[in-house]
Amino acid sequence: MEPDPMHVLIIDDSRAMRSILRRIVTDLGFTAVEAANGQEALDHLEAGLRPELCTIDWNMPVMDGYTFVSRVRSTPEWRDITLMMVTTESEHGQIVKALAAGAHEYVIKPFTPDAIADKFELLGVRAGVVA
Amino acid sequence: MSTLTEPTLSDLLAILDEVWGSFLSSPEPLLPASDDGMNHGTSAAVTITGDWRGIVVVETSRPVAEEVTRRMLMLDAVTPDDVADAMGELVNIVGGQVKSLTGGQSTLSLPIVASGHLVQPSEARELCRADLVWIGEPVRVTVLSVRTP
Repeated sequence: MEPDPMHVLIIDDSRAMRSILRRIVTDLGFTAVEAANGQEALDHLEAGLRPELCTIDWNMPVMDGYTFVSRVRSTPEWRDITLMMVTTESEHGQIVKALAAGAHEYVIKPFTPDAIADKFELLGVRAGVVA
Repeated sequence: MSTLTEPTLSDLLAILDEVWGSFLSSPEPLLPASDDGMNHGTSAAVTITGDWRGIVVVETSRPVAEEVTRRMLMLDAVTPDDVADAMGELVNIVGGQVKSLTGGQSTLSLPIVASGHLVQPSEARELCRADLVWIGEPVRVTVLSVRTP
C-alpha cells in the first residue's frame, strides 16, 4: 500500500508537544494523527494508516521511539514511510543509532516551525505530493 | 570515553533563552531576579544518568506554569493535567540541552512534575541556579550534580 501523502503521524508522550507539532504540520497542509507512544503508533499502522511521515520522540513510556523505528523498518509493508526523530536526545551516538535503525532525519528540541518545514522540504515531503 | 563538562550558569541561561524564545515564542524576556520571590507553585524535574549524573529542576509560580501551558497548547483555559504535561515537556527540553553539554553517554529520564518544592536527594549538590522573572513571576532552574555511589 502506498503512503497516504496527506497524513503525518505525530508520536510523542507529551500532549503539549503533540499540539505544537500538530499546528506546524497542519499549517504545512497535512492532516495530523497522534499517538502517545510507539505502541499506539504501531496500532495505527496495523489498523491501516499509512502516513507519509512520522515524527517520533525518543523517550516515551510503553514503547520508545528507537524501538518504534526498528519495528517499522523490519516490516516490509511500512518501508515507504518517512521517519523523522524529534527529540531532546542530542548525543552524536544517539543520532547515529537512530539513523542506523532507519530514521531519515533528526530534529533536536527545541525547534522552530521553520526548522520542521525545512526538514520536510529536505525529505521531499509535501502535502499531497510524494517525492 | 569523551571528556565530561559540567554546565555553568552561563550555559544554563543560554539554554533558557533559546527555549523561551523559540519554543514558547515569548517576546517577554527572562530577567534576572533575586531568589526572594520563589513560591514553588509547580516543580518539574528530569534526571540524567550515565557518564554524568545530575538532575535538572524547573520551578515556577502557578501563573508561570499556567502561562507556559497556554502558550504550548494555544488554549485559553488549561487543566492541572495540561499544566503537568507542559511543564514535564519544558523540563525535558531543558534537561536534554543540559545533557548535551556534559558530553559522554547519558540517559534522560521521563519527567516528574509536582505541586510545591521537590526534595533534593542528599547526594546531590547544586552546580548552578538561574533565578529569573518572566511575566512578572518567578522562574527558577537548577542543575544538580549527583555523586556516583
